[in-house]
Formats: sequence, structure tokens, C-alpha cells
Amino acid sequence: MIQETALIFTPQTAASAITGNLWLIPALPIVASGIIALLKQKRRVPAAALAIGSLGISLLIAIAAFAHVLAGWMANHAVRETFNFSWIQVGTSSVDLGWVLDPLSAVMLVMVCFVGLLIFIYSVGYMAHDENFTRFFCFLSLFAGGMLGVVIANSILLLFMSWEIVGLTSYLLIGFWYHKPSAAAAAKKAFVTTRVGDIFFLLGIVWLFSSTGTLLFYSHGAGSLESLALSNLLTQHAGLGLSAATAIGLLIFAGAAGKSGQVPLHVWLPDAMEGPTPVSALIHAATMVAAGVYLIARVYPLMSAGSLAGGTTVALTVVTWVGAATAVFAALIAVAQNDIKRILAYSTVSQLGYMMAGLGLGGVAVGFFHLITHAFFKALLFMGAGSVIHGVHEEQDIRHMGGLNAKMKTTFVTYGIGMLALCGFPLVFSGFWSKDGILEAAHNGAIKGPFYMLAFGALLTAFYMTRQVSYVFFGNKRAHHEAHESPKVMTMPLAILAFFAIALSAIGTPAWPWFKSFLNNEAAPFEFAGFAEPGLASLMLLSSCIVLVGIGLGWMIYGNKQQDAHAKDALEKALGPIWTLLANRFYVDELYGVTVIALYKGLAILTDFFDRCVWGGIVALVAWVFGLCAKINRFLDETFINGGFDKGCEQLSTGGGILSNVESGRAQTYLRYLAVGMIVLVAILLWSARP
Amino acid sequence: MNYNELFLATLPETVLELAALLVLIVDLGLVRNAGPRYRAVVAAFFGVAGCAVALWAVSIAPALHFGSTLLLTVGGTAGVAQCSILILTGITLLLLVDCVFSRNPGEYVAVVLMAAAGGLLIAAAQDLLVIFTGLELLSVSLYILAAFAKKSAASAESSLKYYLFGGMAAAFLLFGFSYLYGLSASTSLPQVVLGVSVASLNGGVALVSVALVMIAVGLGFKVAAVPFHFWAPDTYEGAPAPAAAFIASVSKVASFALLISIGTALVPGHGAAQSWSLILAVLAAASMIFGNVAALAQTSVRRLVAYSAIAHAGYILLGLAYFEPSGRNAQAILYYILTYGLTTIGAFGVISAVERATGNDSIGNFAGLHRRNPVLAAVLLVLFLSLAGIPPLVGFWAKFNLFAAVLMVGGGAAPFALVALAVAFSAVSLFYYLQVLKSAYVAAPAAETKIKAGPVTMLVLIVIALAVLGCGCFPAYLQDWIAGFYL
Repeated sequence: MIQETALIFTPQTAASAITGNLWLIPALPIVASGIIALLKQKRRVPAAALAIGSLGISLLIAIAAFAHVLAGWMANHAVRETFNFSWIQVGTSSVDLGWVLDPLSAVMLVMVCFVGLLIFIYSVGYMAHDENFTRFFCFLSLFAGGMLGVVIANSILLLFMSWEIVGLTSYLLIGFWYHKPSAAAAAKKAFVTTRVGDIFFLLGIVWLFSSTGTLLFYSHGAGSLESLALSNLLTQHAGLGLSAATAIGLLIFAGAAGKSGQVPLHVWLPDAMEGPTPVSALIHAATMVAAGVYLIARVYPLMSAGSLAGGTTVALTVVTWVGAATAVFAALIAVAQNDIKRILAYSTVSQLGYMMAGLGLGGVAVGFFHLITHAFFKALLFMGAGSVIHGVHEEQDIRHMGGLNAKMKTTFVTYGIGMLALCGFPLVFSGFWSKDGILEAAHNGAIKGPFYMLAFGALLTAFYMTRQVSYVFFGNKRAHHEAHESPKVMTMPLAILAFFAIALSAIGTPAWPWFKSFLNNEAAPFEFAGFAEPGLASLMLLSSCIVLVGIGLGWMIYGNKQQDAHAKDALEKALGPIWTLLANRFYVDELYGVTVIALYKGLAILTDFFDRCVWGGIVALVAWVFGLCAKINRFLDETFINGGFDKGCEQLSTGGGILSNVESGRAQTYLRYLAVGMIVLVAILLWSARP
Repeated sequence: MNYNELFLATLPETVLELAALLVLIVDLGLVRNAGPRYRAVVAAFFGVAGCAVALWAVSIAPALHFGSTLLLTVGGTAGVAQCSILILTGITLLLLVDCVFSRNPGEYVAVVLMAAAGGLLIAAAQDLLVIFTGLELLSVSLYILAAFAKKSAASAESSLKYYLFGGMAAAFLLFGFSYLYGLSASTSLPQVVLGVSVASLNGGVALVSVALVMIAVGLGFKVAAVPFHFWAPDTYEGAPAPAAAFIASVSKVASFALLISIGTALVPGHGAAQSWSLILAVLAAASMIFGNVAALAQTSVRRLVAYSAIAHAGYILLGLAYFEPSGRNAQAILYYILTYGLTTIGAFGVISAVERATGNDSIGNFAGLHRRNPVLAAVLLVLFLSLAGIPPLVGFWAKFNLFAAVLMVGGGAAPFALVALAVAFSAVSLFYYLQVLKSAYVAAPAAETKIKAGPVTMLVLIVIALAVLGCGCFPAYLQDWIAGFYL
């Protein structure tokens, strides 16, 4: 039996010194990036040192902040400290910025800084031979700053600004090897696709600001996420039977869906794998794509506003269904991909779907725990994949790998741990507990649809990861070159991440749901009785079975077979056209190509025509008129006024007296203008004052 | 009023005058035989110290009354303007250190301090006579400053033009004041306004109009509003750079503070206020259009800055034409003029450095500045973009606040149309600012030699650029500082 906890958490909102200085966490990497930008290309060591050093200090501050929140939590305080200030003052209204320190931001800060730091270190090895090493670290640092800005923001405007920095750096980093046309196209695609979501997000921000009058999330009762504003939003109607709270929540979710690659805005994420692998690990696994999930977690009070006890809201239902659909959709595609990073990319999309579904079904703690565990093991997988790619000389097709387990031992072991964590292998891997939490929440939901979808997704996840690992590490060697293990600077971060991929399971088991309690400001009892909740054991058994079946199936089909690089995939033979459909990613890109993009092309041609023929002519005419006026003016100026006076001064210097010159008429030009000006003004006045 | 009160109330001005005397004594006495640069450093040091002490004195000086008549006010507009004048004066004095154009830096600094004292008087004055005395103290000092490069014909020419035009404008102003005195039998600003209102009700509209126009002529000359601007391009071009920077910044602050005082004294909606508003609106529109268009064709950067100054004066006059006395407009105008003054001083600093290295200030001589001195080019970039009103630089917020204040006053279609005009011409202004920047960043340098600026100048310029950027990123700080004077 779980004892009722009698502890009451008292709010703690007064800003402490650590909250006041929280801005340093994003500011340091941003400043570092500014300095790196000024360095010469060949200054590699200072660039890397600045980036790593600044993020290291940020990590220390983040840990201090986390410790502060932890201390408050242990003293039964619901810590939510804010620091707000007015940025721009226009009349009586002001634009406020601020940052917040609560369990959510504290956990995320530590995670982003820590994973980011490991990826920075890893990049030193991975990018060692790149000539634009310095530029890479400049972008990377800027990205980290933007991401940390998103995390600490207590103002939706500050969040949006950081969000845009993140979007920009994502564009820059995906297109880092811009000489490759595919990378340049992928960067553009990522930018444009997330922009679609951002437009809705911006609309949501404007709407929220106009109906609550504040940009701050928390401001001692006056913030937009606090009960007063929320109850106001619930009473406003937005049409279609929705309250303003729901409508704004859905608009914000559209932004989150763009960033977090939810269907139908997921198309950019797999293409983003054109960037260097550390970028894929940092941006498209651990942090940036999680920004969308974090955003929903941050505005969760808005999303869940109006729900009765245990109930759900329209906004959360939408989040749940979109998440579940994304989870299955992307997992299906991942089954039929052959690029090692693309498989991981689709798996990321799928897992982001899980997180969203977790948020929609089980609240902040459920989805957010998966975000944290996923960040670690997915970064591990991406960096492992990078290590593999590095080891087999930039080969990315898994059909051309094979048998790497002997050559790359550290990579193999750590990758295996990451893969088992992603599959949700029972008991010791963190992914099991976080995914189990989501499945449990789905199972408890009123509608069972998402549960079946997510369970099916889990089966697929186990299957395609087994397929990938079999192709890469087992079987015969099909690589063109001799594989070699990566340097220590790359494998050490892998080992550290692998440790956390396992260790994190300790804080999220039902026996000691520390993470959930921490986020929800409850006490965390340590009791094995937690397993005895009705239905939990059977559910755990079920999800274990799903995982084992998935892995078993995968191993049966692909495991340790002697394969030829050019042979047809085993499933391809069995599935036929369905495989083609999956391998071509359900033709979503093609669909967008003939609909949205074709429409825009048509519009572009039309506006181009108008621009050239109509507006261009008007602009040219205006420019010509202005040019003429300026010339006339200059002519008058130089000929009459200047010329006259220059002559006067010449006479002056050649010996004429001042008076004679003044009297000889030069000053009269001036006076004439003065007098004319005065008379004109008087005339205007009298004319306007006429009765 | 006794001498003690007088001393306390005019303490800032007194401090400046004492500092001026001290500078003269030190410069002509103690360090007479030292090198010109050393003397410049000493003189500038005493000048800046004088400004700093005066800044403190501003905070403690009480208001000055003569009987029941207010002569000098404190706080509010006067406070902000006086602080701005002293800060900007200090900065222009620092520019002197690396720019020795005279054998007598002590005299230069002394005259600058006297001019600043005149500015302080104008900013606080509530009486026509005090206003006129302050204006003359400021103007006469400025004529001297413009002519200070005694070996330069251009300097003499610019000063003479400035003097002739200024003298005539002062005559108009005094004539206007005498009409006002005749109408109201008082020289105190509030009483004058009262008397004028009564007079315009009693059929004296024409006389009031003429008086107001004459005053507008006098003050329009000080702020270089079209059509009383002819002196500005020549003076900006010919005067020594620190003097030009002083004329472009400090004297503008003082004059606009005076215009704010007049605007605050007028009763809104009343006949005289409406006439005044119309005059200023006409001047504003003419200045915006003429200043921006004329700047397009300039090849001399100094003349370009001069015409742009005319345009900026037009924007500010717009804020004065549609004025409401609660302090919102006053704050927006002071914000504008303070940041504009700071930016212009920086621009003159860059111009004078380029000038010294290349001979003159034509746009062509800025070619390749980016390669010849990247810091100088970056400072120029920040300052010019700020002048054009590009966010996140402070010039954007200055324009934004000013235009927002104008629109909030209301008053129908006219202010709206004028603001639209101002915004459109801000876009036009971007063209000529970018011409200079294009030359600095894109064009190939004419020579490969580095352009050197002295360490103090560099430091001042970098601080100004950072301030422009910092205030742009966090606009509320400066706004709060200004609003603090109005509590």
C-alpha cells in the first residue's frame, strides 16, 4: 500500500542569487560564439577551448541551480523562482522578459549542458580534419546558447527569440557542408518546414499576449500560466466551440510540432542528417527536437486548463493523437531505411511522438522523463553511428557494413546499450521505464486507441533497431575499407552516455518515482509496493514481451546471416509493394511537392511578374524623381549659396574688409531666405486662422 | 532672492565657469611650455572633471525664484537636459585629446565649458530674459568654437556664416520676445503664455502669429530646421571636428529642451498652441523632406551628416508639434536627442580620424575602411545604422518612442500622415547612410596603409558604439532613467 503523503509543499517564489544569475547559462555560450566568430579560421584550439569552457561553466551553474531546486524540494518547497524585468516600455504597457527556475527548467538545463558538453568534446575528434573547424564551434556554441535560452525563458517572447536562434543555428549546422547540394537543400527544408509551425506559434503568442496582457509565464499571480489568466482564457470563446485556452494551446502545439518533427511536419528531420554527425546527435536527437516537447511541458497548465480531475482537454487529446500517429508512422518508415543515420532519424521522430503522447496522456512528468532518457541514449546512438561512419570511412549505408563488432569493440558495446535502451529492454535500461510510463498512462486513458498504436510502435522499434544492429555489427564484412576504432576523444563520451542510459532508470521506476515526484513537487517514497499497483505488473510483462518479440523477430530475419551488400532485403521479398511504400517514406515528400510546393511556385512566378513589371517600374520612377531633386538641390547649394560665399571669403582673405563683403550682398542671400521663410510661415498661419 | 540662493541655484553653471577659469590658468600658466598634446590632455582632463562636478551640482541645485516668478526650474526636462549636456560635453572634450588643431587647447576647453554653461541655463530657464542670455552665451561660444582652427580657411568661413546667420536669427528671436512682452507685460514663461492667450482672444491673432513665427525663426536656426538651416552644412564641414560634434549634439540638446519648455507652458488646444503646433509641423515636414533628399547627393560625409541632422531635427520637431504636456512627448524627445547627440559625436570622431589620415572627408576616402581599421569601420557601422533607425540599435527605439508619442497625442489625420512621411523618409535615409558604409566595407581601399586613431578617441568611440548597441538591446534602462527625473 502506498501511504498518503501528508507533506504539503509550500510555494517558494522569491528569487535567490542563483535565479538572478541564471541568464549566465545561455549568455556564456553566446558570448563564446561571438568571440569565436572573430577568431581566424586557423585558431582551432582557442575556438574549441572557448566553446567547451563556456559550456562547462554553464554546466556548473546549471548544476548549482539544480542543487538549489533540489534543496528546496527536500525542504518541502515547491520551487518556482522567477526573475522578471521590463525590456521595452511603450506608454503604460511594457514588454517583459524573465527567466524561471523550477524543477522542469533545472532538469532540462543540466541535461542540455551535460549532453551538449559531451557532444562538444566528441566534435573535437569528429571534426578534427574539417577546415571549417572554427566556424563549426561558433555555430555549435550559439546553438547551445539559444537552446539554454529556451529552457530558462519565463517570457514567451524570450522563449520565441531563443527558439528562433535555435532554428537559425539548426539551419546553419545542417547546411554546414553547404558545398554538398543535398546538405544545402536539407538546411533549407528544415528552415522552411519549421517556419510553418513557427507562424502558428507566433499567432499563439500574439493571441496569448492580447488576451492576458502579459508575456510572462509566472509573475506572482499575474502570469499567463497562472490561475487568474487561465480562468479568463477559459471563458473566452474562440469559435468552433473552443475556448481561447484551447485555441492558443493548439497554435503553440503547431509550433512545437514543427520543431519536434511531428506528423505532418516531420519531413525535415530525416533530411537534416546531412549535417555532421555531432550536429545530428546534439540538435536532432538530444536538444533541439526536444525543444518542442519542452515547450508543451512548459505551457502544460495552458494545455490542461479546464480539465476536470483525471480528465483530459481538447488540446491534450490532439497532442496525444498526433504523438501516437507520429510514433507509429515514423517507426514504420524506419523499418525500410538503409542509411544508418536515417534510421535513427525516423526513430527520433517516432520517439518524439511517444513524448508528445506521454505529455498528452500522463502529464508533464511522464513525457518529460522519456525526453531525458531519450536524450541520453539517442545522443549515444547518434555518436555511436558517427563513430561507425568514421570507422568505415564515411560509409553510411548499413548494407555496406557488417561484422564490425570485433573491430570496434567500445563502439559496439556502447551502441548495443543505446539500442537496448531505445528498444526498451526490460528492467535495467532507462528506456524501458520511461516508455513503460507512457504505455501505462495510455493504458489508463479513456480511449484505448493510442495505447494500441504505441504498443505497436514499441514492437516496430525493437524490430528495426535489431535489424540495424544486425546489419552493422554482425554478419560478414561488406565494407570497402578496413574498419578501425575511433579515437578516445570520441569513445569516452560514448561510454559516459552509455552509463547514463542505464543509470537513469534508477530515478524513474514505480518503486521510487523520484523524477515524477520531483517535477510534481511531491515527496518521493521508496517502496517496492509501487510495483503492486493494480495492472502494473501485467502491463510491464506485456511491454517486455513486446520488446522481446520485436528483437526476436529482427534477429530471426537478419541476425548473423551471411548477407550480400546488393541482395534484396529479406522483408522486401516478403512485403513487396508495402516495402516500396515504406522505403519511399509513404511518398509524403512527393505529395508535398505536387501540392504545397507547386502552389507556391505558381504564386512565386506570379509575384515575380508583378515585381518586375509593375512595382519595379514604380520604384524606378520614384528613385529617378528623388535623384533629380537631390541633383537640383545640390546644384543650387553649390552654385548659389556656396559659390557665392566662397567668393566672398576669397575676397575676404585677399584683403577686403569684412564689412564691405557683408554689404556687398553675400549675407543678403541668407537674409532673403530667412525673410521668405518667415513670411511664408506667417502667411500659412494667418491663412489657417482665417475665420 | 539673495546671493546665497543665486549661488546655489546656479551652482552647475558656476562650477563650469570656475572650471573654465581654472583651465585657462593651468594651460596658460603652469603648462604653457609643454607640448600641445600634453596641454590638450591636461585641459581636457580639467574640462571633464568640471563636467563631472557640475553633474553632481545639478543634482543638488534648487530652483531659482525672483519674488514669485520662477527663473530656473529643476528636475524633469531641465534635469535630463542638463545631465545630457554635461555628459555629451565631457565626451566631446575627450575627442580633443587626439585631435590637436589649435595651439591653445586651454582656450578651446574654456569656451566649450562656457557654452555648456549657456546650455544649462537654457535647459532650466523659465524666463524670456534668462532664455535669451543663455542662448547668447551658448551661441557666441559656438561661433568662437567653429572658428577655432585659426589656420584653416574653411573654419573661418564656416564660423563667419554661422555668426552672420545666428546674429540675424537672434535678432528675430529678440524681436519676437519683445512682442510677447508687449502682449503680456511679463517675461515669465507661464505669464507670457497667459497674456498671449488673452491677447489672441481680444483680436491680437496676427500679432501673436508674427511673434510666434519670429521665435520659431530664432529657435529654428538653433536646431537647423528648414528653411533656417543654411549655416549647418557649411559649419559642420568647416569647423574642427570636436567643435562640430559639440555644435551637433550639445547645442541641439539645449535648444530642444527650450522648445519642450515652451511646449509644456502652452495650453493645449488653445489658439496660440494651435498656431505654434502648425508652425512646427510645417518646419518638421520641410526639414524631413529637404534634409533627407539633400543628403542623398552629398559626397562629403560631414555635409551628409549635416543634412541628416536637419532631417533628424525634423523628426523631433514633429514630436514638438504634436505635444501633450504630461511628459510622454518630452521624454521621447529627450531620449531621441540624447541618443542622437551621442551617436553624432561618435560619427564625428570617426570622420575626424579618417580625415586626418586621408586629407578630407569625401565618401571616397572611406573606401576600404574595413581593411584599414576594422574597429573604426565597425563603430561607423553601428552608429550609422543607429542613425538610420535599424533595430536592435538605440536609434530604432528613439524613433519608435517619438513616433509612438506623436500618434498617441491624436489630432486626426495630420500627425498620422506626418509620421508616415517620417517613416518613409527614414527608409530614404538608409540609402545615404549605406552609401558610406558600402564604401567602408565593400569598396577597395585606396591605400593599404592603416588609418590610425589615438587611443583616447578609440576608447571613446568603442564606448559610444557599445552604448548604442547596449541601449538598443535594453531600451527600458535609459527610458527608466529619463522617466526618473519626472517623478
